[in-house]
Amino acid sequence: MADDTRSAFEGGEDTSQERIETATNVVLLVAALGLLAGAVFGLISPSYLVFLVSLAGMYALLSLGLNVQWGYAGLINFSVAAFFGLGAYVPVLLSASGSPITGALPPIAGLFVAVLVAVVLALAIGIPTLSLREDYLAIASLGLAEVVRLVVRNQANWTGGTSGVGGVPLFFEGVPVLGTLARDIGTVDVGFYTLGFQFWNSLLNAALVGAFVLGSYLVLRRMHRSPWGRVLRTIRSDEDLAEALGKNTYAFRMQAFVLGSVVAMLAGVYYAYSNYYLTPDIFDPIYTFYAWIAVILGGSGSNRGALFGGIVIVTIVEGTRSLGIGASWRLFAVGLLIILVMRFRPQGVLPPRDELIWPAARGGEADE
Amino acid sequence: MLASLVAGRSGVVAGALAPGVTQGGLDYLPQLLNYLANGVVFSAIIVLGGIGLSLVYSIADFANFAHGDTMTVGAYAGLVTMGAVGSAGPELFALPAGFYAALLAGIAVAAVVAVATHYLVYEPLDTDSIGLLITSIGVAFVYRALIQIQFGTGFTEYDVATLRPIPWIEEFTGITVTEHEIGIVLVATVLVAALHVVLQYTTLGRTMRATADNEALAKVSGIRTERVITSMWVIGAGLAGAGGVFLGLYNQLSPRMGFNLLLVIFAAVILGGIGSVYGAMLGGVVIGVVNRLTPVLSDFGVPIEPAYANAIAFVIMVLVLLVRPTGIAGEGVS
Repeated sequence: MADDTRSAFEGGEDTSQERIETATNVVLLVAALGLLAGAVFGLISPSYLVFLVSLAGMYALLSLGLNVQWGYAGLINFSVAAFFGLGAYVPVLLSASGSPITGALPPIAGLFVAVLVAVVLALAIGIPTLSLREDYLAIASLGLAEVVRLVVRNQANWTGGTSGVGGVPLFFEGVPVLGTLARDIGTVDVGFYTLGFQFWNSLLNAALVGAFVLGSYLVLRRMHRSPWGRVLRTIRSDEDLAEALGKNTYAFRMQAFVLGSVVAMLAGVYYAYSNYYLTPDIFDPIYTFYAWIAVILGGSGSNRGALFGGIVIVTIVEGTRSLGIGASWRLFAVGLLIILVMRFRPQGVLPPRDELIWPAARGGEADE
Repeated sequence: MLASLVAGRSGVVAGALAPGVTQGGLDYLPQLLNYLANGVVFSAIIVLGGIGLSLVYSIADFANFAHGDTMTVGAYAGLVTMGAVGSAGPELFALPAGFYAALLAGIAVAAVVAVATHYLVYEPLDTDSIGLLITSIGVAFVYRALIQIQFGTGFTEYDVATLRPIPWIEEFTGITVTEHEIGIVLVATVLVAALHVVLQYTTLGRTMRATADNEALAKVSGIRTERVITSMWVIGAGLAGAGGVFLGLYNQLSPRMGFNLLLVIFAAVILGGIGSVYGAMLGGVVIGVVNRLTPVLSDFGVPIEPAYANAIAFVIMVLVLLVRPTGIAGEGVS
């Protein structure tokens, strides 16, 4: 490329960053307080509030995973939806009563199987595609994700096909205490609401997705700062340089791809167990593009940005839904958002700061 | 598209051999010819889409994910025109004059929309080819969303009578092909031949090839590359619009019709060699025919159902990228 162009990673001199970060924090705080107040005054049901928070966590997982691939390593991965769907399908096919394979396994065991399958699928997609030029990788990974979707839709003997899988159990079924917790608490009256099984169960699911997000975030932040993360950033900005320094760039890219895919897979686990019924719609490429918007809007390479992007996606998806705005306008908003971000703020709202030094070396706060 | 394919072929159970196969090789021939003929029609549409994708790749230098939706725009522009003009008047290939008006409208609207998008969206961007790729996804969503808002998300059809296969061809060869399908192939051939003449024998074509080859060099040689890029959008999107109208005639119209076909077109373009217009034509024919030959597999007992037609195209695409990333024809419009 010519020198006068700019990649999504370099923003140029940006003096307004401080103000933007403050504004972002204020907006998030106001939104959180507003939702909380709505719940306290009986406008928003607590179950819905918990659902919204979990959903934000789910999208945050998708974007955290993609951020490892695109943000750290510069891989244009358009197969996020395949791993999202896999994370939902593998544990459900092993644990649901309506599964054509077996319903015998506890969901938690299914989660570990899903991790293994995600690693295998990531290798299967990564081995042929990761050595490709970046734009070819985009097309090839989207194509392979589509192959996965077609297999799930058409191999009804393994996956239930287009009619899906029913009888999804609770995630904590079979676990002592947690498995029956939601039922044991029973109904509690608080002000406007009666909190019943539904609420406690969604609270448990929120805790699950919260644990996934927190765990992933901490692990990824640590890895990003490690020598491993430094090599990835080098590969992203100049692959030849990394090779000249003796780094096996293919292996590093593969590690980033597998790691990110496993994180995105976790989002699918939450999705599956927060619904009673699972259909192949989860493999729709739109989820891939949601993750992309979240990462680009948040700031490529920034984990905080990925979390922020997840929140924005929920706001768009659920906000339009609760206002009664149809799916077409939602699609329009999503498309327009992509164009506007690329036009006016390609580095995202919260781009990574101090990427190249350990934060403590500056004596500042350790916030990425 | 896929759904209709599955519905049409659901009689064939994987593993059970088709009657023609069991009775002996020669009896299977008409069936095979049928798949081939169907593949030729389908590839005409893929070729029309692939040329534009390849042109954008070689001249504007990015993978345009909005190209499939540009086809959809053309198809729906045709639908509106067809509704306005009506289906009276003289016929050619059993298609009324209104349909040809729709075809022209599809070409024109797709071209105008693409040029407008270029000036409003892509041109002001200060980014690399990856940034353009990501932006084009946003553009694709906006196109599709606007079509959904205007026309709804369901399926619709052109107001053209559904035809029976031409009797004498069916009698002599066993191939079931309608006049519409012959019309699609012939018109597409005319369009492609016209493009060939433009590229090889006009100043515009020479400047386009020069710009694709080396934009900076073309610029210092006095070529107005900006004008070339505009012409490129007009030609590429116009052909995509025509492909969209034909796709609507061949199957049905739906807001996802173009996006669903996009990856198949990418497969064709990559097989032919990204950036090569003639490669895109060749790749389009191969992918289109292979796509429609998929039922042969289950006819011969291979447990791959016709529903995997697109998956096969994608796997071919990945294999080509691995083994020979330059495709059949390699880089450059020549």
